[in-house]
Amino acid sequence: MSTLQSIPVVATKAEKPSGGTGNLLANVFDELTAFCRSRSLFMLHYCTGCGAIELPPAMTSRFDMERLGIQPMVTPRQADILLVTGYVSTKTLKRIILTYEQMNSPKYVIGICSCTVNGGMYWQSYATAKVLADYMPVDMYIAGCMPRPEAVISGLRELMANIRAGRSDNWRDYYRRYDHYLGNQQRLFGENWQTPTDVIGEARHYGQFGPETLGEHTALLERHQTPLLPFEMRLGLGGEKTGVENKGDKR
Amino acid sequence: MKLAASPPNNVSASLEFLLQEIPGLRTKWAGPRRLRVDLPAETLPALLELLKGRAGYVHLSAISCVDWPTQNEFELVYHLWSYELNVLVMAHIRIPRDPGVYLSVYDLYHPAAFFERDIHEMFGLYFEGSPDMGKFILTEWDGPPPMRKEFDSEAWVMNQFEWQDYRPDWLAEIEAKGGGITTRPQDIRKDGKP
Ligand code: SF4
Repeated sequence: MSTLQSIPVVATKAEKPSGGTGNLLANVFDELTAFCRSRSLFMLHYCTGCGAIELPPAMTSRFDMERLGIQPMVTPRQADILLVTGYVSTKTLKRIILTYEQMNSPKYVIGICSCTVNGGMYWQSYATAKVLADYMPVDMYIAGCMPRPEAVISGLRELMANIRAGRSDNWRDYYRRYDHYLGNQQRLFGENWQTPTDVIGEARHYGQFGPETLGEHTALLERHQTPLLPFEMRLGLGGEKTGVENKGDKR
Repeated sequence: MKLAASPPNNVSASLEFLLQEIPGLRTKWAGPRRLRVDLPAETLPALLELLKGRAGYVHLSAISCVDWPTQNEFELVYHLWSYELNVLVMAHIRIPRDPGVYLSVYDLYHPAAFFERDIHEMFGLYFEGSPDMGKFILTEWDGPPPMRKEFDSEAWVMNQFEWQDYRPDWLAEIEAKGGGITTRPQDIRKDGKP
């Protein structure tokens, strides 16, 4: 990152499909956005495995991530980073994908621990997914069994530098190559796997629709997809049956 | 309350005396407070009822299952604890692997429902009369029961999953900065093989 060329200009151009008028101020603004973005990261830590144990020291006063502008966040909708800390069982992977799809773009995924790289020491386990990057785009791996807080923080700093330089935009990849990711998910979860997020619609909305967004796997999805309906709201008035029943009544 | 290392003599003697009521039962003290009991499968409900009714064994702490493929048998171990005698009783039974069906003890010990459901999922052993034999922990699993000895986890994994390259190109970039794999397998192994 020592030369001017390697900093944001190329990547930020790709970010705005409408631009390209050569307005220098536009790039300045993008650069400012990238800077601010990299300095205010909210992190959703999905503590799937033992690697999570190194996060409390990294977050709290000993190593103190907050001085870098990184804070834990409680909901996926408000988070920028998804931290997957350790082995991912097939069952958990479903939840991680649901969580990931709910996050707002731009979003970044960090795989902590060797287990997210290639299964780690659970490589022969029938119940864990091996390569996290097969199911969602991973921006940064922090390998180790388990990585120490210093490693976690240096990984996060690297991610910050990447965001600042506009190099970390793997989230686009999920939209552009949705068919690939969906294919891997279907392979693990069966062909009627479906999430409540309309990824293809989002890809169109964000202007990220690419030639590989659709394919054989999304065609399969369409065939099995049950339409997403808004959740029905019911108010229990006048002794009507409500969704919530007293368990004692059942007997 | 601090327990003495071993139960008083009258406790162990009376427990053994009580157990003599079950035909075909053998006892062996596996430790000062651990009594191993081997018995024919059909007498297990009688034993549990006896222990629960007359010796204060109100706590079924686990049921474990062992697969003996060469003998074509499953071994079930019922771990029971009495808060009055403070002695653990481990009741071992053997049942044929085929058809792999046994009775549920849910009516005596309600926690058995969970243990039995778990064993059903992991070993494919069916418990008659258990309230729920549905999927429990492995909700995404539709392969064979994975804890059976003949299930080859490694082969299954090789068939199901793909791997990524351990030395991708971008690693060189990280290594140039002093990171990457610092200790290689061949540095640790005596034969020096990678
Ligand atoms: S890499 Fe090690 S510490 Fe991390 S989840 Fe796997 S086994 Fe646990």
